[in-house]
Amino acid sequence: MRRSANRALSLVSLCIAAAIALSACGSSTTTGGTGASADNGAGGHRGGSLTVLTSQDMASLDPGITYASLDLNVLAATERTLYTYAPNDPSNIAPDLAAGPPQISPDGRTLTVKIRSGVRFGPPVNREVTSRDVAYAIERGFNPHVANPYASTYYGDIVGADRATGGPIPGIQTPDDHTIVFKLTRPTASLLAQATVLPLDAPVPPEYAKPFDAKAPSTYANNVVSTGPYMYAADRGGRVLGTGYVPGRSVRLVRNPSWSAGGDKRPAYLNAITIEIGGSPTVSGRQVLAGRGLVLADSPTPELVKRAYLHNRSQIYFSPGAGTNYAALNTAIAPFDDADLRKAVAAELDRQQMRTVRGGAVVGDSGSHFLYPGVLGFEQAGGQQGTGVDFLANPQGDRALAARYMKAAGYPSGKYTGGQTVQIVGLAGAPDSDDAQIFQQALQDLGFKTTLKLVDSTVMYARFCGLPKARVQACPNVGWIRDFADPQTVLDVAFNGNDIFPENNPNWPQLNDPAINRAMARAELTVGTQQRANAWGTIDRMITATAAAIPWLWDRQPNIFAANVRCVPELWNQGHCDFAYTSLK
Amino acid sequence: MAAYILRRVLWGVVLLVLVSLLTFAIFYVLPSADPAQLRAGRDASPATLHQIRVSLGLDKPLTVQYWTFLKHLVLHADLGYSYFSGASVGSLLLDRLPATISLTLGAVVIWLLAAVPLGVVSAVRRGTWVDKLTTGGALLGVSMPVYWLGLVALYLFANDIGKLPLLPGAGSYVPFTHDPWKWLTSLILPWLVLASTFAAVYARLLRGNMIEVLSEDYVRTARANGLSERRVVWRHGLRAAVTPLVTLAGLDVGLLLGGAVLTETVFGIPGIGRLNYDAITHADYPLIQGTVLLAAIFVIVANILVDVAYAYLDPRVRET
Repeated sequence: MRRSANRALSLVSLCIAAAIALSACGSSTTTGGTGASADNGAGGHRGGSLTVLTSQDMASLDPGITYASLDLNVLAATERTLYTYAPNDPSNIAPDLAAGPPQISPDGRTLTVKIRSGVRFGPPVNREVTSRDVAYAIERGFNPHVANPYASTYYGDIVGADRATGGPIPGIQTPDDHTIVFKLTRPTASLLAQATVLPLDAPVPPEYAKPFDAKAPSTYANNVVSTGPYMYAADRGGRVLGTGYVPGRSVRLVRNPSWSAGGDKRPAYLNAITIEIGGSPTVSGRQVLAGRGLVLADSPTPELVKRAYLHNRSQIYFSPGAGTNYAALNTAIAPFDDADLRKAVAAELDRQQMRTVRGGAVVGDSGSHFLYPGVLGFEQAGGQQGTGVDFLANPQGDRALAARYMKAAGYPSGKYTGGQTVQIVGLAGAPDSDDAQIFQQALQDLGFKTTLKLVDSTVMYARFCGLPKARVQACPNVGWIRDFADPQTVLDVAFNGNDIFPENNPNWPQLNDPAINRAMARAELTVGTQQRANAWGTIDRMITATAAAIPWLWDRQPNIFAANVRCVPELWNQGHCDFAYTSLK
Repeated sequence: MAAYILRRVLWGVVLLVLVSLLTFAIFYVLPSADPAQLRAGRDASPATLHQIRVSLGLDKPLTVQYWTFLKHLVLHADLGYSYFSGASVGSLLLDRLPATISLTLGAVVIWLLAAVPLGVVSAVRRGTWVDKLTTGGALLGVSMPVYWLGLVALYLFANDIGKLPLLPGAGSYVPFTHDPWKWLTSLILPWLVLASTFAAVYARLLRGNMIEVLSEDYVRTARANGLSERRVVWRHGLRAAVTPLVTLAGLDVGLLLGGAVLTETVFGIPGIGRLNYDAITHADYPLIQGTVLLAAIFVIVANILVDVAYAYLDPRVRET
């Protein structure tokens, strides 16, 4: 009785506190309200400067190292990768540095890309880009001084990549200045073609970068050269650090004099972009809504989302397809090594309430599987209706069903009577901590004794949820977002039993189901868009059926900008305003 | 006196070594983020993680890492390079120091100018409406968290988001060397916010000290000798009552020079506090070590200066 009362109270108070209270609380719809609409940027006004406010620094300026969201946002304006996404099309790769579509051999083991002529490096290199520059960019990703985090994941099938340390890789061939050929050990060329949207293949001039890459760690980031319409402001020698980039303070992008509009779809309306780092999102958000020429790169606070949604609707955009949030249950240790107990928790959990505390329907749909809207295979996995498992059928939870699963697990009263105390580790700070508490309440309602530890995101992953020896039983605040538009990037790393590492383990539930592992091994080699969608959609159903993790939100990421900014959101990158398409009104 | 100062300085050096050792131990022993994992992201394999650890020197034994750090610091005054940005820690500290010094010294001037008269008047007019008003105001000042007060100040007075747009708001800080007028105006709100809490505390402390001092025998003797009340209060009372506050002010200034992270964050001031916060967030050990050592230096130097000032204010200290 007391638990029920507390729960009701918390729901009311959370609803009052949450953003979009009017539209969210009590709503059971799956389609949220929308703010501004997506835009392709055509016909924008040329000129002016944009100022981006953010509390977070860039992770790295080096395209060979980073793929953090803000960094990708900047790199999309400063670099040219082989392929890219148009800002309003997150699904289909389009040639950027490439001169045409990727050519994949019938056996799927060779990928050939023709490179566009006339693309030039910015100062101080000032010469035409060749295929050798692309090859070097990828090769340096395997250099321990650069240590690109995803090179082995997506480029690891290139012949010789397994022995690469930064020098030439036999499987990357450059028969002429405008052709690059990738020879692969497995028929995974279509996946590699998709992966070329990531910044690792942005060309790097070897004669310029090698001295920087010789240092441990590489200092190329401090002297990075651009090929896109914008470059970091730099001194005459090309040093960016201290000029175009002051750590923790600012990033300054100016026009790249070597860039030519011919052969590039990006209109590059703005004259300059300045990123100011270090303010409080609470204050910065208000400045953006009230100011001119401003964009907020942080996730706006729920209060700010509410304010923008109610009073400045044209200044907020909710980007669909911004990832899946889920609660991971540790399948490797008791008590959640029992599938029926996991299903009981999934049935009990009020996923709609977890969404409500974040702002309700406008910030996303209640998730019911792991491939989220906009990712290939989403429909094949069941789409908005879900995969059909009963324990996720009701987003508000189903107490009677939970009790049935508890009985099936050997607890006739419908309540857990084992001696195990469940250790939960979640994120500190609202609304994440609120979600963790809702999850904890669900466990307590099922009779579990629990301890909840709320920590910073980095600590949560490094010391608890991503560290199997920490023996954490539940992590309610984890999530995953695609690297590019292929479902493998959502499911493989996060649920493949072959990828359970002793540290930095991304398979948080430690799911190691032989049938799923085998299905993934087959699906990796599947060729063809429809075939891959079917294969990975089926795998999504298999994962969901294990209840190793409970999907509870398919994110829509809110982004806010000033009234005079015509923001063109990058739908492939959480809806950040694409600097190369955005303009001032 | 010189021997005394020298002894304090040597103790300061020992303290700095201990602080650096403690910082190092905390970084590696307590739950924190792993710089290699932060750099690698969640896709990275154990092999990639190992590569990153090697490139950052994190694969070496802890004793070697600490010894290398100390050696570079002592022999070359080199604090190393940020894991996160690759910039030298020394240059990052120098870049942020002017903002923190500006913020701290301005706030100190304001809180002392406010606290001393308020504390004295409140003590002299004890029980009157002036005392009650001052005490109530001080209580209010102590009770308001700086972060909250900063937000309120911005929502009221900032020229971009305020209801009464009077002063530059968050993110408006410019260095003194770039534009002295903008520097001054951009810091008025942060100074007032940061000073308010301290002024309240100091006023209350001074009031208590003054009440105690004014009841001392020597003050009664001074009055009996016919000295004016003004002279009794300001010359004999205040000088004795303010001495403990000098100690406190020294420590507070030292601490604030190590970074006023909340004020810096709310007002977007690129100071040491914010740098330290970011360093912790990024598990950027060299930068954490640099900011902590800098803060420790400020506190130690402030302590030495306080001791010297104490000796000046209270001749008995010189004799012990």
